[in-house]
Amino acid sequence: MTDQIISMHNVCKSYKMGTEKLNVLKGIDFSVDRGEFTAILGPSGSGKSTLMNIIGCMDTLDSGSYSLNGIQIDETKERDLVKIRNHEIGFIFQNYHLIPTYNVMQNIIMPLLMRGEDRKTAERDCREVVDMLGLSDRLKHKPSELSGGQRQRVAIARALCSKPSLLLADEPTGALDQQSGTEVLRLFTKLHEMGNTIVMITHDMNVAKWAERTVNIVDGQMYQ
Amino acid sequence: MRFSEILNLVRINLIQNKFKVLLTSIGIIVGAATIVCVIAIGKGGQADVADQFRNLNAGALDISYEQSEGSSGFSFGGSLPSFSGGSMPSFDGGSVPSFGGSGSSFSATASKESGSSDGSSRRSSRSGGSGMPSFDGGFDLGSMFGGSGEVKNREKITLSTEDMEDITASVPGLSEATITYTTKQNIYGGNIEETESYTIAGTLSDYAGLSNLSLLFGDYLSDTDNENKTKVCVLGYSAAKNIFGSAEEAYDSIVYIDDRPYTVGGVLAEQGSVEAGISADEAIFIPYATGIKYLTGSDISPTITVIAEDVDNIGAVAENVRSVLAASYPNAEFTISDAGSKMEAANKSNRTLTLMLIAMASIVFIIGGIGIMNVLFVSVKERTQEIGILKAIGGSRRDILLEFILEACSISLIGGIIGVAMSFGVSPLITSFSIRMEMSVTGALLALGFSLVTGTVFGFYPAWKASRLVPVEALASE
Ligand SMILES: Nc1ncnc2c1ncn2[C@@H]1O[C@H](COP(=O)(O)OP(=O)(O)OP(=O)(O)O)[C@@H](O)[C@H]1O
Ligand SMILES: [Mg+2]
Repeated sequence: MTDQIISMHNVCKSYKMGTEKLNVLKGIDFSVDRGEFTAILGPSGSGKSTLMNIIGCMDTLDSGSYSLNGIQIDETKERDLVKIRNHEIGFIFQNYHLIPTYNVMQNIIMPLLMRGEDRKTAERDCREVVDMLGLSDRLKHKPSELSGGQRQRVAIARALCSKPSLLLADEPTGALDQQSGTEVLRLFTKLHEMGNTIVMITHDMNVAKWAERTVNIVDGQMYQ
Repeated sequence: MRFSEILNLVRINLIQNKFKVLLTSIGIIVGAATIVCVIAIGKGGQADVADQFRNLNAGALDISYEQSEGSSGFSFGGSLPSFSGGSMPSFDGGSVPSFGGSGSSFSATASKESGSSDGSSRRSSRSGGSGMPSFDGGFDLGSMFGGSGEVKNREKITLSTEDMEDITASVPGLSEATITYTTKQNIYGGNIEETESYTIAGTLSDYAGLSNLSLLFGDYLSDTDNENKTKVCVLGYSAAKNIFGSAEEAYDSIVYIDDRPYTVGGVLAEQGSVEAGISADEAIFIPYATGIKYLTGSDISPTITVIAEDVDNIGAVAENVRSVLAASYPNAEFTISDAGSKMEAANKSNRTLTLMLIAMASIVFIIGGIGIMNVLFVSVKERTQEIGILKAIGGSRRDILLEFILEACSISLIGGIIGVAMSFGVSPLITSFSIRMEMSVTGALLALGFSLVTGTVFGFYPAWKASRLVPVEALASE
């Protein structure tokens, strides 16, 4: 068996809409090897974000099994999921999801603070990532003072600095123009080459092409 | 997450929202300022009472007698002049009948008889008389007016050291007793050119101790002064200043009271105004017997002051005193006022006021707290997405709970500090309305404590709500 980071079997997820039950994920089988750059491609409403929330340990699954980096997530309590999110996963969101009150540096080091590091150590640990992403001269800025591409780089820096075993990106280029989108994707390729495992969710075929492997999701079912 | 880092995040958030913080904390500011002022006013009131009753002992009972209007011309008109100039006639007059009242074997009649014999055995030959006629007068009056008992205090009664000794002998639970009287006399001496009228107080040696008087110069009047009827006096602070210019110059000088020279044996320290008793600053104190001999004769209405050992027992002591005196003077109603209960009453009304003000302050605090809660709820709503992000990147419930609670605490603490500072600014304004305030560290600390508690209590629910948000939902909110 290869070194699998994500291993999902027959994962189902449904939402209750009044009396009706809406099945969003209908038995997903999905696995990602360490070091892979995978794109999950699917149309709007197909259940991509739902799947991503489950992969990111932010939502529970109704049935099936899910193990992340050897941890059986479907049997883990929320208290421990917090730690797993912090240590194993680096999130990159479509809308960046930076905290507006904090400056760039404070946003970037947040995951490290969460795991109990002090500010000094955290800032030192992030230095390398910050330099690589070209954010050194923007550290004191507020997110609102940055362009979309810069904001996404801050979000990527935040995801990277905690050295997660999995980078999880939901439509990372969705809010960016062509050029900044391409920059982000180039960065992803570089990160992939550096050995990071990346799962990227997109509805755009052209974006998916940047990945090493693409899986399709349609109406809650996955096609390899 | 480290506590210090959470604190730092709180700090950043507060700095970013200075105006909001200020608005949120207005309720707390007002509450804290109110608390400090309320406590200061309460303490000021207490200090006022303490000052006004400074010369009084908590366990003190003042016993005096007031003769009713119209009685003077009746049976005493004649008797009075005959006593003038006599030495202490009242001593025996008082002591005599009171033997009967003390519960000893003397009957009322026996006591009268023993009174006259007792009296004649003493210094003053007139003393027996002073007791006797007043009694007869009293009895006569009683029967004349139908003995209904409503006619009281028609007779002339002069309380005396004998009455005092009688009380101390018969009433248990007394630690000290003294007797005083006051009279107005013209004096001159020192810088005074025309004579001036001053309050002269005839006192015993223990008066100074009992009234908490302290001396700047010299000593208080002694027992020997009283026995020898020495012409010596102790001046109140203001009196000394008025007559001689200063306390220092007054000491050992001569002051003329009713044209007789008195050596100033001591000067009192300044006492301030008092609510009851003799206003010591303006008074001139002379030995009890000296005054009677040279100034008043028997024409005095002395006050006996006794000190109850146990302040809680003061009611019983007053009753005992009353019955001892009733046996001596059956038709007389004595005025017994107890300093403790006066003080207590004053303190009580003070406390009531303070409690009312504290209740007001509490309401202000609750309103302030609700204000904080509202703002925090809004803040949690506004920051739902932020909470979602924090949760997504590994923020635990504890971290989020702590951050929001600490934010609430900080807001209220800042409000508290501003409030306390404001109260110190406002206090001169309140004081200018002649309300006494005693600003205290305790008050300030209490206000800060209250602010903190309010912040924590009212901040907890929104913070708890925030910490319970489901990460996905929080993140999805816009
Ligand atoms: N919290 C929810 N409650 C009810 N239904 C939900 C909830 N979240 C998602 N859904 C439904 O689940 C389905 C899948 O939603 P999801 O967000 O996963 O789609 P998506 O593939 O990410 O779409 P998009 O590309 O537009 O982001 C949709 O029909 C949506 O209405
Ligand atoms: Mg989506």
